[in-house]
Amino acid sequence: MLLSFAQWIQATAFFTALRGSAYAYPIVLSLHMTGIALFGGMVLLTDMRLLGLAMRKHSLADVVTRFRVPKRVGFLIVATCGLLLAGSKAEEYYYNAFFRTKLILLTLAGIHALVFRRSVYANAADMDRAPKIPAHAKLAGALSLLIWASIACMGRGIGYIEPPLDKIHAQIQVIQETALAAFHAPAALLERGH
Amino acid sequence: MLLLQINSIADALNSSEWVFPIAECFHIAAFAWSIGLIAAVDYRMLGFGIQNSKPSEVLHDTAPWTILGLAVVLLSGPVLFLSDVRMYLHNSSFIFKMCALAVALVFNFTVHWKVAKSDTVSPPVRVVTAIVSLALWISVVFGGLFIAFV
Repeated sequence: MLLSFAQWIQATAFFTALRGSAYAYPIVLSLHMTGIALFGGMVLLTDMRLLGLAMRKHSLADVVTRFRVPKRVGFLIVATCGLLLAGSKAEEYYYNAFFRTKLILLTLAGIHALVFRRSVYANAADMDRAPKIPAHAKLAGALSLLIWASIACMGRGIGYIEPPLDKIHAQIQVIQETALAAFHAPAALLERGH
Repeated sequence: MLLLQINSIADALNSSEWVFPIAECFHIAAFAWSIGLIAAVDYRMLGFGIQNSKPSEVLHDTAPWTILGLAVVLLSGPVLFLSDVRMYLHNSSFIFKMCALAVALVFNFTVHWKVAKSDTVSPPVRVVTAIVSLALWISVVFGGLFIAFV
């Protein structure tokens, strides 16, 4: 079902045009990269502040809340372009191990955000009053760095695999034909019997 | 002689299928890192970002990390370049990227730093500097990506 969805979406006129365009595709890819810098930089700053490694003169509340809007803008750019890129090569990516890993990691990033939202990211002012950065905040920062860096690397990895779609299509056709022949076999036998 | 030497470096780099992808991962992570941090200063100069601190303070706190990120980018870049020198030198997007990079670096450490450090500079100058800085770095990113498409 997922596969037929992937095939359908990349066959739509919009994604077919995007995939075939000499300029649109690389431009979307470049914007994806720009989004990575704008979003990734903000994630990095926030996480390094949570770990107590950078910007220690600024309060956590300052760093976490002030970078929230630029971070979201960056995320919007990177996610929009990412969806466009994924849509235009959906069937190929369906078979791509790096793409699958990236999706799992993105889910983890979502879970990370849900888990730490209340205790860390929406709680910066409270943490500033504590004498030390709480351990769970440091954990949140470290995990976030790890997850997002892995996502970037997996994203790069996608380009290194090109699933042999032609071969896969040929195999699927053979399987379908065999199944069809098997399905019709009893009827053919019966007919011959008459 | 030089060409032979370059070829032997390329052979060494191409002997393992992991060198290029790993160098590329570092290159990408570090450019996101350094350009993201430069953008944090630009955001502040444009009037969003950390408003409780002056641009000079944001710059002061991010600069060591930006330089570290740039160092990783500028070390991993040549590894990628040396793996296929001839292709890169004939690639118009690569040439564009190198020019944009040179301008961006010079601009960053002269005008951008000077304006960011000065708390007395007039707001329009600040805004223009931030926009030029963002535009330069984004054009470097575009130049890098288009290498694979020209």
